[in-house]
Amino acid sequence: MAYEEVKIKTPLLLRVLPVASILAFFGAWQLIISLGIIPTTMLASPSQVISIFIEKLSEPNPDGAVLWVHAWTSIQEAFTGYLLALLIGIPLGLLMGWFSVAEGLARPIFEIIRPIPPIAWIPLTIFWFGIGISGKVFIIWLGGIVPCVINSFAGVRMTNPTLIQMARTYGATDWQIFTKLCIPSALPMVFGALQIALAYCWTTLVAAELLAADTGLGYLITMGRRLAMPDLVVLGMIMVGLTGAVIGVVIDWVEKRLLAGIRR
Amino acid sequence: MNTIANEVQVQVRERSPLSIWRVLKNRWFLHAVSMIAFFAIWDYVAINRFLGSALARPYEVSLQLADMMVNPIAGKGLFGHIWASTQRILIGFAIGAVLATPLGLLMALNRYINAVVKPVFDLIKPMPPIAWISIAILWFGIGEPSKVFIIVIGTFVPCLLNAYNGVRLIEPQLYDVVRMLGGNRRDEILHVCFPAAFPAIFAGLQISLSAAWTCVLAAELVSARSGLGFITLLGMTLSRPALIVGGMVVIAIVAWLTTLLVTGLEKVLCPWKRELQTA
Repeated sequence: MAYEEVKIKTPLLLRVLPVASILAFFGAWQLIISLGIIPTTMLASPSQVISIFIEKLSEPNPDGAVLWVHAWTSIQEAFTGYLLALLIGIPLGLLMGWFSVAEGLARPIFEIIRPIPPIAWIPLTIFWFGIGISGKVFIIWLGGIVPCVINSFAGVRMTNPTLIQMARTYGATDWQIFTKLCIPSALPMVFGALQIALAYCWTTLVAAELLAADTGLGYLITMGRRLAMPDLVVLGMIMVGLTGAVIGVVIDWVEKRLLAGIRR
Repeated sequence: MNTIANEVQVQVRERSPLSIWRVLKNRWFLHAVSMIAFFAIWDYVAINRFLGSALARPYEVSLQLADMMVNPIAGKGLFGHIWASTQRILIGFAIGAVLATPLGLLMALNRYINAVVKPVFDLIKPMPPIAWISIAILWFGIGEPSKVFIIVIGTFVPCLLNAYNGVRLIEPQLYDVVRMLGGNRRDEILHVCFPAAFPAIFAGLQISLSAAWTCVLAAELVSARSGLGFITLLGMTLSRPALIVGGMVVIAIVAWLTTLLVTGLEKVLCPWKRELQTA
């Protein structure tokens, strides 16, 4: 061995502190409720949340569905909207990046719709689609399509101009340059969009369900508030956070697999 | 003619003859076509009621907007509602940014603070701010504090993340340079960390401003008596599509103006930011 491996030792304190901090967080949360500093009508303790979690696994009352039905409805809505956003947004962004006609036609409409937060569409969509799944999918689609278009557009625009000039010199047509050069070089940006769009979709989903739904995790939170049951609210929040985090990890893993060869 | 060092570049501007094809491919012509088509289709869909009676014609929306300028809605004029929303955003945004940015910097600069705060932050991070609305209402009632609280949560996460990553992703060579020139830890922080992290911090502020817009609308849609979200919701309750679309138009304009303001501010405050020009 030409070199010696250097081991950098993390101090014991640094390894203990994160665990201690988590424990202290939950301990303090449990304590302020057990000691009655914050009344149970305002916040549920961790132990109450765990007990209602176990109860909700099999008990549909008081909000009409067991926990996994809520979670499944939310995931279904989020993924339908997300996939539609990818299917329309990514090709649109790629085309806008390379063909000036596509950009000239699509850019103004996109710029009009972009500054409106998807949540502002909720009243209009309730009018159009009612409170069923299609309205929520529409709102989630609006939330997801913006990052898809922007990232794939920027990805194509970032293609190395030297490569394009070289392809031209060798007699490639516009379409060949687009498919053989611009799309592969835009892929890392497009995959960046997958993550951003998913985060947007998930946030938008909760908003859509808060206002109009009869199942779903956002609806669970709303019902918890209407019934003044903080344990239900906190359970809903934790489930939303947890599901979002799990989906994020899965997407990250898929991205690493697909991009293994072309990461820059 | 531009001269770079001893090289002479002559710019040649090609002038091809005016043809129909060139006019058709002109960018402004295409923009105009697309705008006209957009409003024409909107008008057509609204007149023929493809979406039920729930879409107002562009003409009706502009009438409604003109009417809102003059006649107050629910006790407040149009600018009163705009100010109500903006005020909530400004208060929440200020609190969130002032709390989160220093905390993010401290986390990046001191690993003990990082070890304490990071695990708890990672627990809270994946929850969308909108999921906090219900608990905020339980805590603060339906008044102003609950709306401001949601905006604080919404701005906190992107501000903290960007300040933290902004410092952590600084090129290590920059530190080496300061150390070679005889700088100590204080010089490192003052002359490397802050200037190098500033663009990232500013990007965080931009992201959190748009997050704040989303939050304030969600909060106003759930419960409010003023604000732009309230106007659209009122349009829904009164079955007046023109009011909904008018509210959305105002939201788009105000959100666009704030983005413009922040981008302009960035150009003034951190001219050393090198950004890729995409447009």
